Amino acid sequence: MRLRHFTFSLLAALILLAFAQTISAQALDISSGGLPTITGTVGGSVTGSALVTDDLIVTINFGEVSPANTNSIVKVVVPIALRSNQPYQVSVSVSGLNNGNVQALQASDIGFGLQNIRKLGGAGQDCTQSTHVIRSPFANDPSLNATIGGSGRVTYPSSLGNLSGSTIILSGPVLSKNNSIKRQQSDGYVFDAIFTLTPQFFASGISSATLIFTIAPGPNVPC
Amino acid sequence: MPRLIIRSFLLTTLLVVCAVCCFGQSTTGTVTMSATVSKFVEINSGGAVTLTGNSGGGVTTDGVANSPLAVSINLGELGPSNVNSFVTAQVPLKLRSNAAYVLSMAATVTSSGASSSRIVASDVGFGLGTVSRTGLGVNAGSDTNATSGDPTLAANGSVNGTTGRYEFTAVRSNLSAFSSATTALSGPIIMNAVPRSNSNGLTVPAIFAVKPQFFENGTTTISVTFTVTAP
Repeated sequence: MRLRHFTFSLLAALILLAFAQTISAQALDISSGGLPTITGTVGGSVTGSALVTDDLIVTINFGEVSPANTNSIVKVVVPIALRSNQPYQVSVSVSGLNNGNVQALQASDIGFGLQNIRKLGGAGQDCTQSTHVIRSPFANDPSLNATIGGSGRVTYPSSLGNLSGSTIILSGPVLSKNNSIKRQQSDGYVFDAIFTLTPQFFASGISSATLIFTIAPGPNVPC
Repeated sequence: MPRLIIRSFLLTTLLVVCAVCCFGQSTTGTVTMSATVSKFVEINSGGAVTLTGNSGGGVTTDGVANSPLAVSINLGELGPSNVNSFVTAQVPLKLRSNAAYVLSMAATVTSSGASSSRIVASDVGFGLGTVSRTGLGVNAGSDTNATSGDPTLAANGSVNGTTGRYEFTAVRSNLSAFSSATTALSGPIIMNAVPRSNSNGLTVPAIFAVKPQFFENGTTTISVTFTVTAP
């Protein structure tokens, strides 16, 4: 009798392990890529984990962005780590910026670009047949490309205003060499998500937004 | 028998938990952001001072457009030897804001004279001229001028039939109305969402005038402070 139950437990465990292996074989992971930084702020801050094994949970406070902030631009760099054993794509969705007053802060007033894709901890899958592609128009550092628009307002090559629903911003081939079931300090890739906001004569008020970054199976490109 | 089933269930649950823990992976991450825009107002010089009708005197410290307002003017001779009808100084002001604003002014007039014929606050005419909202990034809006405009206009002053003294008689047309901070101009938001490097704004001339008369001889100092706020 006992043997039968032991056998049952063992069988269940094996089934679960097999299931787990199946999951592992399709692993896609997004996490913190290191400590985020902020410059040009008055009264602002950014919080996030320096550990690449921690979840991506970042809080940005741009601080004062009226002309009382005499800095030319507020810039935040958020490193984001990716791991996968299959082709992937990263998408972003934004919610919460719904100012009815056009002179108040709008999604298009927050520059958003991706730069500096690099191996995580110096290790990652080397693919020769495909590259990691930052989707248009996000391949830029908006702090270096801010211009004055026809209305006198600052514009960027890409901004949160370019996000519509869940927008793909990055895709590419397999990211990791090993098929680890745990987050590693290395063996993946990191990119910098750059957010910028130029202090202007915005209508007064407090604005907030939430961005969700999602990694999912991407176009089936060879490695 | 039931105990064994429970143990089996616990074991499998443990394995599931371990499996999830080992993976430690996530397919989503979150970035939340916020920003604050406080009410902002500023007053600067709108450009060079214009002094007319003076005999002697001159602009000691001139205004420089878009620089802090710190102007010093010597109105020169204000006795009857100055045969001009008025000594007039026009001081351009430039205001900018991201909210409704109020421009107020406070003035003090001190004279070395001791008699009622010395120059006093009511002898110094004051008014704000034409308000201009022009240029890229400047919001169209209607402003309320609480003064009577150019104090030298005939409608804003005349000779007192009893005393013979020239008086600025219109509403808020002389500095006696500004012995404490008093509203001179107000209006809606001035600037659209443009950076501070955009040098446009609302411009308005502050006009000061004195009618040369048989004032008691001496020297007079007039000090004026403009303040802009976003109530």
